[in-house]
Amino acid sequence: MTLAVVNVSPIANKKFHSLLIKTKSEIEMALTKAASQPTTIEDERQRIRDQAGLLIALADSNPLVRRWAARDLLTYSNVSAALVERLLIETEPSVIEVILTTLTRIGDECAIEGLIRCLRTENAMLRNAAIEAMKLLPDEIAPFISHLLNDPDPDVRIFTVDVLESLRHPQVESWLIRVITEDAHLNVCGAAVDLLGEVGSECARPALLALKQRFPEEPYIQFAADLALTRIAAG
Amino acid sequence: MAEPLTINDEDFLKFREFFYRKTGILFEDSKRYFVDKRLLERMNATASENFRSYFTMLRFQTSGEELQTLINAMTVNETYFFREEYQFQCLVNSMLTEIIAHRKTEIPIRIWSVPSSSGEEPYGIAIYLLEYWPQLRNWDIEIISSDIDTSILNRARHGRYSARAVQYMPTILLNKYFHRDGEYFQINQELRDAVEFTRINVTDAAEMRTHRNFDVIFCRNLLIYFDDLSRKQTAESFYDALNPGGFICLGHSESMSRISALFRVRKFPEAIVYQKPWGMK
Amino acid sequence: MKRILIIDDAATVRLYHRGILENAGFTVVEAVNGLEALEHVANTVFDLYLVDINMPKLDGYGFLRELRSKDIPQAPAIMVSTEAAVNDQKLAYASGANLYLIKPVRPQRLLSHVLTLLGLTLPNPDHSL
Repeated sequence: MTLAVVNVSPIANKKFHSLLIKTKSEIEMALTKAASQPTTIEDERQRIRDQAGLLIALADSNPLVRRWAARDLLTYSNVSAALVERLLIETEPSVIEVILTTLTRIGDECAIEGLIRCLRTENAMLRNAAIEAMKLLPDEIAPFISHLLNDPDPDVRIFTVDVLESLRHPQVESWLIRVITEDAHLNVCGAAVDLLGEVGSECARPALLALKQRFPEEPYIQFAADLALTRIAAG
Repeated sequence: MAEPLTINDEDFLKFREFFYRKTGILFEDSKRYFVDKRLLERMNATASENFRSYFTMLRFQTSGEELQTLINAMTVNETYFFREEYQFQCLVNSMLTEIIAHRKTEIPIRIWSVPSSSGEEPYGIAIYLLEYWPQLRNWDIEIISSDIDTSILNRARHGRYSARAVQYMPTILLNKYFHRDGEYFQINQELRDAVEFTRINVTDAAEMRTHRNFDVIFCRNLLIYFDDLSRKQTAESFYDALNPGGFICLGHSESMSRISALFRVRKFPEAIVYQKPWGMK
Repeated sequence: MKRILIIDDAATVRLYHRGILENAGFTVVEAVNGLEALEHVANTVFDLYLVDINMPKLDGYGFLRELRSKDIPQAPAIMVSTEAAVNDQKLAYASGANLYLIKPVRPQRLLSHVLTLLGLTLPNPDHSL
């Protein structure tokens, strides 16, 4: 038995070694085998990788090609609109993920507006992934929060409260206080109280007490508000 | 005089939920003492008045720097040979078995160990394969190991280790694959030649394109140090670096379920790992 | 003892449901999203799932579809959501839910549905819920 090193197929112009424990003749065979059967790479980069080429690739039938296009478009400007358009019709989850990552990295106004559009989609996977992306853009999302908290659709308001969860923004608590004070919808308030249990300070106490008064017959609201109040008192 | 810093039960629960959401690490009640101790250390170090002010800083600090420091404090990161050995057992007993069962051609199986650190992991994998994977007679394996730090890559290529680094290596294997060099242990030339070391920044999508067609990726205790977006982006790059059906192994306290929706959990007798589902392009 | 997996990204909701179910003698395990729930499913056998719809990484529908495609002993699932739209209900049942409840769920209502789905009766009729 010997331990030997053989060069195998070049991958991305780089020769890698192979770890083998074989007899002498087997090693020779392995060498031959490796040379005659190069590791194939599906060449997803055969298109011209300029902006126009990438935008075409974004609609390719192969999801791998679409993912690479979405990734590479990061280096170009004014591509958010095209990425958002693709996002809204894209069905492959892995491509949706990569488009959202690129849009998050870009983070321009068009990207933000695109993410907000996703809150209204029927596609739960896209909607939830967009909420996650928005959580990573606190400064960019902040100017839209007030407006979104007034959206007529209670689901959009709940999603907006969800976004606040990870927002490292000084106004988070006051937004939440406003929600539990003004929002008529039980579940929007429920989502806001959940978060106040974590970020709430003494400032939230009166609003939490008032919320309990407003929904005296709702066990969940009583439970959540009490929990938040306990945590505030303990802190 | 300032009151001594304390962490009460509600503080602990609040912190636990937050830390869990950010890192996927869940502290059981039994870890309370450990968690409190680390938290108090950080509260002192940051001159925080009380838990509330520390927690507020942790939560709202834009740079996320304190969270990073706290993660470092909460996770012990040591590299040594055969660390988290159960994953290597899983590699030879389960993952490779599944990979070769699906393999239609005899192209080499590719394993990527990242970060390489000073080489304990990729060399450990090589030794494990030589010792415990009889199929090595029939299959070629390529081991590639990468790191962002060129000086540590040079150390890894050199392959010289302290007694501490090899403390869990059985003597018989130590004698077989190392030779004594004063107080150090030098890994054999054959093993040094068997691992290809490359420099890469895993958060750079363009660089990641040069590393592909892997069947197994070991990426343990690295993603936890990244911010959310870099972590997600790196996971997406790993997805495209893997062949369909390829596996990714994270550190024992890490979970892909908090990072990316692209992978599926696979439970093997030895370990839980993540997989790019078969049939996915 | 029956084991229930609660899958919800809201910590307070998990605590609320946990309290109700633990009071009735159930063992409760929690997950914050569908992927984490699948990790638990790989490790543990559950008797019932309580599933939120909107969650990061893998939503409730996605979780149920993957759960139902698994070759494991299947258990009933209650989907809980803030949404009342007929489409969501349809999607919930199509994904493999056995019951669709609107949040917030009152304790006695949750418990009676859980017991029914598990084929159990209330352990103590005087037990105040």
